[in-house]
Amino acid sequence: MLDIRNLERRWLKYKIKSYAPYIGAVFLLLISLTVALSLSHDSDAPKTAMAKEPLESSAKTTVPKSDETQDILEPSMDFVQSFQTSLPQTPIAAASTAQNTKPLQQSIPATKVLNVPESPSIKAPPPAISPLSGDKSLSLNRNESKIDIESVERRFKETSNSNLGLFIARYHYDHGNYSEAYNFSLKTNNLNNKIDESWIIFAKSLVKLGRVEQAKKTLQLYISDSNSESARSLLDSIEQGSFK
Amino acid sequence: MENSLFSKPRDLFLDVVNPRDYVQIDSVSHMYQSLKNSVQKPLKMILLFGKPGTGKSMLLHKLHHDLSKHQKVLMFDIPIVDEDDFLRVLAQRIFGHSPREVMTLTRFLEIAEAVSYPDVPIVLLDEAQLYSSSLMEKIRLISDARAIKFVITLHKTDKEDVIAKEHFQTRIWESIELQNASAEELKVYVQKKLLKANCFDVANMFNDKNMKLITSLTKGNYRDTNKLLFSLFSLYYWYEQNHPTLIKYNALKSKWIEMAAIHTGLIRA
Repeated sequence: MLDIRNLERRWLKYKIKSYAPYIGAVFLLLISLTVALSLSHDSDAPKTAMAKEPLESSAKTTVPKSDETQDILEPSMDFVQSFQTSLPQTPIAAASTAQNTKPLQQSIPATKVLNVPESPSIKAPPPAISPLSGDKSLSLNRNESKIDIESVERRFKETSNSNLGLFIARYHYDHGNYSEAYNFSLKTNNLNNKIDESWIIFAKSLVKLGRVEQAKKTLQLYISDSNSESARSLLDSIEQGSFK
Repeated sequence: MENSLFSKPRDLFLDVVNPRDYVQIDSVSHMYQSLKNSVQKPLKMILLFGKPGTGKSMLLHKLHHDLSKHQKVLMFDIPIVDEDDFLRVLAQRIFGHSPREVMTLTRFLEIAEAVSYPDVPIVLLDEAQLYSSSLMEKIRLISDARAIKFVITLHKTDKEDVIAKEHFQTRIWESIELQNASAEELKVYVQKKLLKANCFDVANMFNDKNMKLITSLTKGNYRDTNKLLFSLFSLYYWYEQNHPTLIKYNALKSKWIEMAAIHTGLIRA
């Protein structure tokens, strides 16, 4: 007599056994695939690490830089403050310092700059630009101004604008080029004889060129015509010998 | 139970050697014709060998069944291992002589010489590997004396090949080897057997896939196939009685074939 239940149980066991090699093969295949994938990941890992290293090192190197910029920021704060105070007296120097401070202010958030406390390790800021040290700042800008003044002179020849003539005369006088200051102030006076400063530069240039009497005479004529106080005080100082 | 579709096919595949159940398959028919032709020749011995379950006994029984109508044929399907008994039975059943004295080979040959038949009597010895060497030597001497023609069957194993070499190789004039059936031959065998018994519905359930599975399990061995199909139809019979809805009549269930193979020991589970 057949024991069907027992036979079915044995048949199930047999089927599991018969499929076991295939299941095992699939399992081994999956394991080998995962191992292969993990190995490939491992082989890629050093590359990524190497790729990351420069970033990390660069990040590390940027940290001291940010510290440096922080060190620089402290003086920049003072510099801005000093710039603000010196702005009305030295416009050219103020413009140049404003150009220098722009990138610094852009790279640093304003709140950070304001909240940074003063520390003794931070170097003292360079001395603020004062009217007395204006020669240095002017000498720095001189070469650039030469190019600029040539273009202004060219424009003056083309336009015969008295304001440009006054500007050129003032520039040459400030730079000790008294003969040129004399010439341009004379041209300006011919274009417009009511510009007070042009007459004064003209007289000063004459004094600097050693033509004091001609300067006095010119000032007297101008004072009689315009009653200019600045021309009068200059004439007084020339006569007293305080302006040489 | 009498209405069961599977009880009759089950009984068909009982492993019983009956010449009436002989199924004519091309290869087996060729073998059988060769055997019959060999028997007609003046040969001393004919050897029929093959693995167990290849149909040796069936062929021998078929030969006995067919030849016994025309000539004196004696069939020993169960070997008589005692030499005296063997010779005494031969003397009595072939030559009709029952000596009271001890039967020696010399005495047997005297009796055989005294009785003459138009055709040499044929003795069919199944499972000849069970005979002792001494008795096999006497059988050789009897066949040399042309008193009796022997047709013997042997299992094809290394040991039995040795026996064949020692006792028959120089004397056998004809040897026929039987082999396992192919899937096609096995299908013909199964279907012919079922159709012969009018089991048409069951015969139609066997498809090529079923036969491939059965052949792979039995390796084309007729005895194993009979055992497997007996178990299979027993299973079908059980399901027919208990769960008839599970039976599909268009094909055999592979699962049930494998369960039958487990039951018969063809599958170890």
